[in-house]
Amino acid sequence: MSEQTAKDLRFDCPAEIIKLAEGDLNQKLAEMGCVPGTQIVKLYSAPSGDPVAFRIDSYVLGLRLSEAEQIVVKTDEELETSI
Amino acid sequence: MRRVALVGNPNCGKSTLFNRLTGLNQKTSNLPGTTVDSHEGKVKISNEWFELVDLPGIYSLFTNSEYEHVVVSNLIGKGTPKPDAIIYVLDSSNLRRNLLLLSQVAELKIPAVCILTMEDSAQRRDIKIDTDELKSILGISIISFNPRITKDIKPVEGLFSQFSVGKPLSENADMNEKLSRFLEGKPNRGISTETLRRYNDIDKVVKKVVIRENKKREGNTLKIDKWVTHPVIGFFIFFSIMLAIFQGVFSLADYPMTWIEHSFSWLRSQTSKIVTNEYVVDFVNSGLLSGLEGVIVFLPQIFILFFLIGILEDSGYMVRASFLSDQLMRKLGLNGRSIIPLIGGFACAIPAIMATRTIKNRSERLATMLVVPLMSCSARIPVYILLTSLIVPAGVLWGPIPAQTLIMTLAYFAGIIMAILFAIFFKMLGKGKEQSEFVLELPTYQAPRIQTVINGAWLRCKSFLNEAGKIIVIISMALWVLSSFGPDKAMEEARNKARIIAQKNPESIEQIEQSYLLEASYAGHLGKMIEPAIKPLGYDWKTGIALISSFAAREVFVGTMSTLFQTGAEDENVIGIRKKMQSEINPETGKPAYGIGYAISLMLFYAFALQCISTMAVLKKETQTWKWSIILFFLYGAIAYLSAFSAFQFFGNP
Repeated sequence: MSEQTAKDLRFDCPAEIIKLAEGDLNQKLAEMGCVPGTQIVKLYSAPSGDPVAFRIDSYVLGLRLSEAEQIVVKTDEELETSI
Repeated sequence: MRRVALVGNPNCGKSTLFNRLTGLNQKTSNLPGTTVDSHEGKVKISNEWFELVDLPGIYSLFTNSEYEHVVVSNLIGKGTPKPDAIIYVLDSSNLRRNLLLLSQVAELKIPAVCILTMEDSAQRRDIKIDTDELKSILGISIISFNPRITKDIKPVEGLFSQFSVGKPLSENADMNEKLSRFLEGKPNRGISTETLRRYNDIDKVVKKVVIRENKKREGNTLKIDKWVTHPVIGFFIFFSIMLAIFQGVFSLADYPMTWIEHSFSWLRSQTSKIVTNEYVVDFVNSGLLSGLEGVIVFLPQIFILFFLIGILEDSGYMVRASFLSDQLMRKLGLNGRSIIPLIGGFACAIPAIMATRTIKNRSERLATMLVVPLMSCSARIPVYILLTSLIVPAGVLWGPIPAQTLIMTLAYFAGIIMAILFAIFFKMLGKGKEQSEFVLELPTYQAPRIQTVINGAWLRCKSFLNEAGKIIVIISMALWVLSSFGPDKAMEEARNKARIIAQKNPESIEQIEQSYLLEASYAGHLGKMIEPAIKPLGYDWKTGIALISSFAAREVFVGTMSTLFQTGAEDENVIGIRKKMQSEINPETGKPAYGIGYAISLMLFYAFALQCISTMAVLKKETQTWKWSIILFFLYGAIAYLSAFSAFQFFGNP
């Protein structure tokens, strides 16, 4: 199964950040608090579907779809089944 | 005097706090080679003066943009004095991310204190902070203070006697050295892993000090955002706000601008009462006062635009506007925030170019600045009105639409289309220099603090006066010299000629004399000199003079034409000039000198050419170099020339 990223999340379904994809944006996203173990929720998007707003821990971060793709996540359901 | 730096994330209330402490006693400064402002101000607390520096809000020291460079340079004292103490400003509703910057800066071992802001929005989401616990972990004084709401600022003043070096949150290798390397552009290895380690340590702290009973509870911000980003309602709100901004700069600014014009007319009437020497009066009235008026008249537009932008920024809507327009603007190589300068450009390019400061990405900011002058500003309207009236008479309908309105609209569209093409062109040029990214915090909505917004707008006005104002006064004076002086012999002949002609109708001697003197002046000579170059566009030397004089402001074109056609001051309206222009016959061709081809050609020329010294001066101020003003002058000049040429060849020779 391919990795699930923040781009694929459904609205209002909490997930957990597993890791960040290697790339230029890696450092910036980490500084913004997108580090492994952080809770992430997709909240709403611009009318065109891009960019998208996510709740990262306790604040809201807007990301383009191409940027959200860099964040590898695991939804809570998956977390539960893997236990 | 001790220097105290305010350090914190964007949107944490840092600037509001700074404004509360310093009031109007502040100035903006730019670190050499950067275009990012830091604000400095003085504040007196229990008999000691402090120099307060409001550093730009950032999330981490190691992100590679101008903002972080300014903060780091200030913190390690490169190009500026090193701060003696630091005030950390942390948003309590979002402590975890705010602590990252603190954990980095703390390793510089500068004495510090800490202020927790936004307690209200934290409370609304059921977030409480154990201040005492945080105090013992950080080892510095901490207070909770909301600069937007709390009236009594005494607790903050009390902090100024409690600066101390705290305990670092993480242990990392020498920070000073890493920051020096960062400033020199050398890579620091392992910053990513360091960031992860820092968050690891921060999370331990957060677990101890942040108390959150109900994790699900959301504030009102999310509810508002669902409306603001709604496909129908969201765009309705968006366009209403943009329309309000346009109206503000376009119509609202008209009132103070009229007052300024009236005040200057009054001043001019006073000079002739005080001074008798005709030349001195002319110098003061037409040279000096006109130059000053040409600068001051921009202040209402600048103030209003920055006031409105301030409200949008301070309330949090600006980021949402970026969010909505990002996809469209990205395709053009611009930024979501480019929308405000572009709309402002329809009123006036001067405040609009200044407004690009809110764009953080350097190449996107530059691209926006460069295309703003292609938006048809309000100074072009009088010119467009005169020229459309030469194409079709008023009242003619093309389908359901008045023909004149349609032609004006087409001129606006010509500018917009050219702006889109150039935005794409500049994007291709700037490719690879700085990566385009969005990654933007959508902060909690706040009621804007009017005092902060007014201070900000006033500082913009001040920096415009100081930096661009001088250049504009000097160049307008030069233009005045060009149009009021000429070779002695030519001027004398002009006076005699005017006198002879005026014998027939003595009541209009002044108009006739003015017209002949302008023709004999250096500007007149220049106009005739460039005639061969502008003849292929369909222009004569009179148009040449008007083109040169309209560098002071585009609408001067109409005034100059009216002087040359002796329409007289009371008759200085479009109808009077239009009649005279229409009856003028080109002696070479025997056809009307100012026909349809002429009008279309000149309209295109005005739509594209960068013939506004104030725009060039502001562009120089904002980019810190004349390079772009000069490039745009020739680039847009060439485009204007070519399109005017094609238009005249197509429409001018029926």
